[in-house]
Amino acid sequence: MKHLKTLSLAAALTASAAGMAHADWPTDRPIELIVAFAPGGGTDVMLRTLAPYLEAELDAQFPVLNRPGAAGEITYTALAQARPDGYTVSSLNTPGFLTMQIERKLRFEPSEICPIARIVEDPGLFVVPANSEFKSLTDLVAYAKEHPGAVSIGTTGVGTDEHLAMLQLERSAGVDLTAVPFTGSNDAKTALLGGHISAIGLNAGEYATADHNSMRAIGQFSEERSILAKDLPTAKEQGYDVIISSERGLAARCEVPEEIRARLADAVDKALANPEFQAQAAKQSVPLSFQSGADWQAAMPARLERYRSIFALMKEGQ
Amino acid sequence: MNTFDLLMLGFSEAMTPANLGFCLIGALLGTLIGVLPGIGPTATIAVLLPITFFLPPLAGIIMLAGIYYGAQYGGSTTAILVNLPGEASAVVTTLDGYQMAQQGRAGAALAVAALGSFFAGTVATFGIAIAGPMLSSFALDFGPAEYVSLMLFGLLAATILASGPVLKAIGMILIGLLFGMVGTDQATGAERLTFGSIDLFDGIEFTVIAIGLFGFTEIITNLERSGSEGVKVAPLTRLWPTREDFRRAWPAVLRGTGIGTFLGILPGGGATLASFSSYSLEKKVSKNPRAFGHGAVEGVAAPEAANNAAAQSSFIPLLTLGIPSNNMMAMMLSAFMIHGITPGPTVLTNQPEIFWGLVASMWIGNLLLVVINLPLIGLWVRLLTVPYRLLYPAILLFCCVGIYSINNRIFDVLLAAGFGLLGYIFRKAKCEPGPLLLGFVLGPLLEANLRRALLISQGDASVFIERPISLTMLIATVVLLALMILPSFRKKREEAFQEEEA
Repeated sequence: MKHLKTLSLAAALTASAAGMAHADWPTDRPIELIVAFAPGGGTDVMLRTLAPYLEAELDAQFPVLNRPGAAGEITYTALAQARPDGYTVSSLNTPGFLTMQIERKLRFEPSEICPIARIVEDPGLFVVPANSEFKSLTDLVAYAKEHPGAVSIGTTGVGTDEHLAMLQLERSAGVDLTAVPFTGSNDAKTALLGGHISAIGLNAGEYATADHNSMRAIGQFSEERSILAKDLPTAKEQGYDVIISSERGLAARCEVPEEIRARLADAVDKALANPEFQAQAAKQSVPLSFQSGADWQAAMPARLERYRSIFALMKEGQ
Repeated sequence: MNTFDLLMLGFSEAMTPANLGFCLIGALLGTLIGVLPGIGPTATIAVLLPITFFLPPLAGIIMLAGIYYGAQYGGSTTAILVNLPGEASAVVTTLDGYQMAQQGRAGAALAVAALGSFFAGTVATFGIAIAGPMLSSFALDFGPAEYVSLMLFGLLAATILASGPVLKAIGMILIGLLFGMVGTDQATGAERLTFGSIDLFDGIEFTVIAIGLFGFTEIITNLERSGSEGVKVAPLTRLWPTREDFRRAWPAVLRGTGIGTFLGILPGGGATLASFSSYSLEKKVSKNPRAFGHGAVEGVAAPEAANNAAAQSSFIPLLTLGIPSNNMMAMMLSAFMIHGITPGPTVLTNQPEIFWGLVASMWIGNLLLVVINLPLIGLWVRLLTVPYRLLYPAILLFCCVGIYSINNRIFDVLLAAGFGLLGYIFRKAKCEPGPLLLGFVLGPLLEANLRRALLISQGDASVFIERPISLTMLIATVVLLALMILPSFRKKREEAFQEEEA
């Protein structure tokens, strides 16, 4: 017993010695929260709403910094090169974080980035202008069969969820669509309303807050209909195997001390349980879905395999 | 209810003491950050956004809007007094505004800028009220192909900004395009001109390049002069513009307002295009184009009116369609959504007090800004009599703080210093930095839209001439190009600038 006590004392000492280096965390400096998308997008608004609650939980400042582009690679690279002192965290979005590992030569090592917590799971859907002739995915597919490449889909970059949804639909329906990259979903929406592209991919949360008189969703890409879009048929119901959802959360470098990451995850968990935050999330139609960093990380390899197969099939088809 | 009743409803909402107070706070704060170089409205609003959780929706939005247009006013002050454009839309104001200040007419320049902005703001506000929904559908007609043609026209028109040889101006635009390419390619994630540096991953910030080329260069150039006395200005005869100034300024303000209101609704570089298009237009219609670049009052009045009108009219697509036309408007959209309001046609019908309250507050805010700014002119002008040895270190400090605060990176400050040296070399070689900045701003937009246009048309380049708006602008570009190449025009242009060389 005594032996055990000594051991635990030693462990405690080691822990506190390690703790010395970051004893002041998180109060001596602001914790930079890098967002991989332009201001005003779904991830940005969600994290800006969350930031004050994290600040209250940790008694620290969380300035939000937008570093959009390259489907998030700019942000993850910046994160991977930041000092592992717990003062830099970033948004983490799947599928972008996973798909960029498939075909691109990355500037950062994905295994060095550890999820802290998942905050949102939001299914994707395709949206057309209100005056479009496409009433369903079936209409869109039928048109694309007759006019290969003529149906243009606005995405926010290579390997993003909109792009993946499009690839899956191409595979499942055997059609040829054209991806048009935009800087953010707002730019894509503008082009859609102007009739310059046929459809855009959005998340259910983004669509729920958009103006439904000017645009219409034609299919959602979840297993079951999302609570945010109960009347909208899924792709599966329409006969296409397209499953994509956007998961959004926070990440830090894996080299950040375990203790700091745990405290961050705990703060996120508590902030999500705050009824005030939940009310604000509901107003913005954000489908909250907390998952611990470990669980989220454990689920990633299987998803990565699924996306890998989509990419492989796409290449085969070329 | 007709427009008049709705506007009255808006005024009754905006005139409540609390809302008036927030409008004043926003306008004051905006003026302050506009005057300080480098600290932009986007950053300020991002910081203040969470605070608006605790305000009523309209009050929060009124305050944020106040910051935005307040910064437009404040930005012109530094552009005129110390040759420092705080943002892209203020670049052209430096051309003649700074010259006016050098000639002892800083007061007149500031007054013309303030009054011109007020007039433009008023017109644009009522423009939003009356024609907002109609104008917004026009903005939607601008697809990728139209942007490509507009940007091409803009880049060519940028040569008019320079008063030296056309070839030099084109060279500067090309250098600007090159700087605009630095960073990660948005469509593929490939790196360009980053030389392996993570700090260049996001490309170069506009503020870094603008403060370097204008601010630092100005300071270096002034070090050449002997002694450390104040700026050698002609004796300050009067603060207020002369009757002659007013006579020349008002048609310029009218034209600037029109261009600004119109181009402001376009997403992307609307406000920037507006201010320099109006400057180019003034130079074209003027009987005395050689005065431009040497303190022509029209050269201040028109772009200032244009960028303020554009700042107001950029609210049109946001309020009527829920589409933000720039980063600032995306911030405003977040402010709306934080309060559970989705801007769009439904807000117009279901919550008219929000839309009309904001429209009315914008007019009140513009009035407040004139009231704040006009008495301050005397104070600003006296700044110029402060000796260099005190004034310039202070400016340098504010510049460095402003640049550092964008990304919290010392790299940006060093980069700006490098651009300062480059700017000094350009100045010695008589190359003007204005066209470079416009190339830098418009280049990336041109590239992204060119790609989109060709993807949508599946590689068919005829899309640029098949679409009427695009075709019109391409024809305008060709006409402009022909005018520049034709010998008679070239002669006239060279004549115009001969005097300055002498």
